This record gives sequence, C-alpha cells and structure tokens, in this order.
Amino acid sequence: MKKSKKTRGGLHLFQVVVFILLAFYAFTLIYAMGWAVLSSLKTQMEFSTNLVGLPKEWKFDNYLQAFRSVQAGGHNMFEMFFNSIWYSCGGALLGVIASAMVAYVVAKYEFPGRGLVYAVALVTMMIPVVGSFPSQYRMYSQLGILDSPLLLVTKFSGFGFNFVMLHSFFKTLSWTYAEAGFIDGASHLKVFLKVMLPQALPVMGSLFLVATVQLWNEYMEPNLFLQSHPTLSSGLYIFQLEMTRGTNYPLLFAGLIVSVIPVIILFAKFQNTMMESMSMGGLKG
Amino acid sequence: MEANLKKENFLKIFRKNKDKYLFVYGMLLLPVIQFCIFYIGINFNSIVMAFKEFAGYAEGGGEIFRWSLENFRRFFGEWAHPETSAVMSALRNTFKYFTAGVCMVPATFLVAYFLFKRIPGYKFFRVLFFLPSIVSAMLFVTTYKNLISYGGPIDMLLALVGYRIPPLLTDNATATGTIIAFTIWTGFGVNMILYQSAMSRIPGEVLEAGQLDGVPWYRELFSIIIPMVWPTLSTTLILLITSLFNSSGPILLFQGSGVEVDNPAITTTAFWIYRQTFKGADLNYPAAIGMFYTLVSIPIVFLVRYLFNKIDPDVEY
Repeated sequence: MKKSKKTRGGLHLFQVVVFILLAFYAFTLIYAMGWAVLSSLKTQMEFSTNLVGLPKEWKFDNYLQAFRSVQAGGHNMFEMFFNSIWYSCGGALLGVIASAMVAYVVAKYEFPGRGLVYAVALVTMMIPVVGSFPSQYRMYSQLGILDSPLLLVTKFSGFGFNFVMLHSFFKTLSWTYAEAGFIDGASHLKVFLKVMLPQALPVMGSLFLVATVQLWNEYMEPNLFLQSHPTLSSGLYIFQLEMTRGTNYPLLFAGLIVSVIPVIILFAKFQNTMMESMSMGGLKG
Repeated sequence: MEANLKKENFLKIFRKNKDKYLFVYGMLLLPVIQFCIFYIGINFNSIVMAFKEFAGYAEGGGEIFRWSLENFRRFFGEWAHPETSAVMSALRNTFKYFTAGVCMVPATFLVAYFLFKRIPGYKFFRVLFFLPSIVSAMLFVTTYKNLISYGGPIDMLLALVGYRIPPLLTDNATATGTIIAFTIWTGFGVNMILYQSAMSRIPGEVLEAGQLDGVPWYRELFSIIIPMVWPTLSTTLILLITSLFNSSGPILLFQGSGVEVDNPAITTTAFWIYRQTFKGADLNYPAAIGMFYTLVSIPIVFLVRYLFNKIDPDVEY
C-alpha cells in the first residue's frame, strides 16, 4: 500500500514536471499564433520598430488590403483562393471517387485479377519512391497537363491510403443490402450508386476532408506544376519572394491568416473526424 | 485441345457473369489507366531518364538524349569528394532529418502517454499540439523565421541576459539544425493522436490490474502499454525507416531574407531533386539519383518489415 502511494507520488511529481514542459510547449505555439495575428494588424513601419508589443493602431483593414495588394505572378488573392478551392476540393474529390470505385469492386466481387489489384495497391504503398519529380515534370509536360487544371487527373488515384480505408469499410459492409437491390431488378451500377455508396458517404466524407486540408496546405507541387495557377499556399510563398526587399509582413501575415481560416473552420466543425482520419493517414504504409 | 477447352470454359463463365464483369472492369478501367500512366509510367520514365544524357539539340529545336551511364558515373564521382559535393551534403542532411524523426518517436509517445493519463489540460493540449499539422506550414515558417530573427522576440529575451541571437538560418553551421528544430516544434500532432488512439483501445481492466498491483508508471508504460500498442508504434517506425531518403523539412519555405535554399549546407536529397527539377537545367541526373535511392530503399523496406514482424509481441486484446 505504502509502495502504491509512493508510486502515485512519483507519478504526480513526474506529472508536474511533464505538465510544466507541455504547458511551456503549448505557450510557444499559442505565442507564435498570437504573434502572427498581432503582426497582421500592424502597419509596415510598426512591424519593423515594434516587433513584440501590441499594435498601437489596430489595422484591421490590412485584411482588405491583402486581398487588393497581395499578388503572386500577377494573380491576386481572390484568384489564389479560387485556385486553392479547385485544386484541393477537386483533387480530394477525384481521389476519393477513384478509391471508392476500386475498393468496392475489390472488396465485394470475385473476378480474375482481383488479387493482383489488391497486391499492387499494397505494394505500391510500401515502396517509398525517392524524387520522381523530374520524371513527373517531363511526363506532365509531354501530356500537356503541366501548368493546367488538367493536372487534377493525377489525383484520380484509386490506390493508396483512401483505397485501404474504403476497402476495409466495404469488406465489412453487409452484402445483403446489395442482394435486396438485385432482387428488385437493379443493375450492379445502380446497386453501387444507390445502395452501397450512400452507406460509405461518412467514410468518404472524412477522407475527402483530410485530403482537402492536405492539398490546401500543399505548396511544393503547385509551385512546380501549377506556376500560372498559384494556390494560396504557393502564392503567398511567391509573394514573399517577389518582395525581395522590404516584405510587407503585416500584409503577408494577413494573407496567411486568411489562408488558414477555411481550415480552422473545418477543424472546429469536424475536429475528431479530422484528428482520427489524419492520424490514420500517417499510417499509410 | 486442352487450350480450347479452357477457352470455352472461360467464355462460358464470362457469358454467365457478363454483366458483373462489365461492371467490375468498367469500374477499374479509369483508375487502372491512371495508375499505369501516373505510377508505372512515371517510375518507368525515371529509370529511362536515369540511363540517358543530354546530347544536344535537334534541328527542329527539340532536345536529343542518348543512352549513357554518365549520370551514375557522375553520381559515384561525387562520393569521392564528399566535403564539396552538394549531393553528399544533401545526403548528410537527410540523415540528420531522419535522426530527428527517430528521436521524435519516443518523445511523441511520451507526450501521448501523459495525455492518455489525463494530465491536467489534456484535452486542450491534444487539440493545440495537433494544430500545426493542419495549419499551413507557410504561416508557421514565416512566424518562426521572425521569432528567431535578430531583433525578434527571442533575441529581445536573450538581450536581457546580455546575449544576442546569432544569424541561425544564414550560418551554414546552424541552418539545418534550425530547420530541424522547426520540424520538431511543429511535429508532434499526427503521431501523438495515433498513439493516443492506440492506447485508448487497451482494455481498462488491464491497466486497473496493474494499478492494483502497485505497478509504477514507468513499468506500466514499458511493460503494459508499449507491448500492447506495439503494432502501431512499430508501423510508425517502419514508415519512418523505409522513407529514410525522403526525410526532409519545409526547406523551400525558408527561402528569402538571406536564406538561399540551393545552398548545399541546408538541402536534403529529396529537396535537392525537387530544386533541380524546378530549375529545369538537367532532369536526367536528379532522376538517376532518385532511382538509385529508391532501389536502395526497396531491400531496406522488406528487411525492416521482416525484422519488425519478428520482434512483434504477440498480444491480442
């Protein structure tokens, strides 16, 4: 009993130390985010003279100004916002649809080649391809999809993490629903679209959400393959580079904060779904 | 005769299941075409590019390439002077990022454990620590760059004790370490949630039994929790090890304000290939390097998976 008390005491002491460390780490994150918000509300002059304190004059119109002045390669923030929407939502939607199509037939139908499709899906996830950018660049250029919204076809991938998640979902989904549909004279396609797919919508929704956020924040691919269509992530990076001297940091921070607002709204609404799904995404091997 | 019989049987089965097969193969058609072009095609093209070198311009203006081992000769030549070679510097930095990633695993696991033990404020910490995983890296990088800059908040704090912050990002000796520090600072989120989810699936009675026996927290952690969540822990380790050559950080976003991302002192293998592609001067050489590291990765993948499967504690719950 005495030992147990000591143990608990030990944990409590250790818990206090850990709590202090975690609280300090939390403080650094909060401070950084708060600092970014406050910086977005300063004038350019004040940003360089008063880097730490509160703004003397709260420049809320920096946010409006950001939409007018922040430009990347001649594209303003409205255009970047639009590009971010079609790139992230379109890419995520295509990826989820393709995966649902492949996962459904592999999970629910016996057909020659089924094992091969499944094996290919798993093996390709296991092999970490290092630096295929040169080949991608050349092929996209030859296919005429480089620097074009047609690049979205590269996101129509039926394999990968989405496939694994949807395959395990369809695998556990009862076939009785489909049989009822067949008895009513429905075709395979109709059963898929009207009976089985609606039941997968919650899973597909969470996969769509996670993929959307990932693509929204993606900057390397748009910077390389979509140079005439900058998204918010790649465009704000370009904006910062284009202002080689005297970057207007308050405007840059205003733009950056605008760019994270949609993600924060999604996170606030679907917090648990996103946390669980994204952590599973980390296990895509 | 036998072949005819087989063909007939196949046709019979096909006719019987015609609708089913049309549906199945119809559903697979577009994703498989996409896979053939954008996975097989791209990787095959990487191999072809690796074995070709630029040979001049055609009369019509197009580029001419010829079969060659020059890219590999050049690559292995870089190994002879590791101190001055950008490719070798990139490899060294890649290992640094990889080491930091490995060190992050136990640190993240400990954080997850204490959040699982419901340390005060655990719900708040959980959400807050996850935020950097979903918020644009550009926002955090820009903030980080300013926080650690000369005259920035950290510098002002250090000035109170008579010390000034050195130019961390523009000094070759500290630049990579500073970017790695950023990846650590913002890198707890995803795995932390993953480990916590795995821990929450451990039956409560197992932990209660340990507590009744007066098991100290560190024994609970090492003797109960780690063996029970080992499949999750090992999967994250496998992923980390197998993507060794892809280890990197948001180096691109650090560009500007005196930071030159093409500086060999801060580049990594994956990022170096990306930058060579961006600059577009010679795509074949980076393709060869990418192919070489992919080939090296493949046996590592299977070996690591085999080893981890061997030491996987057989725990069912």
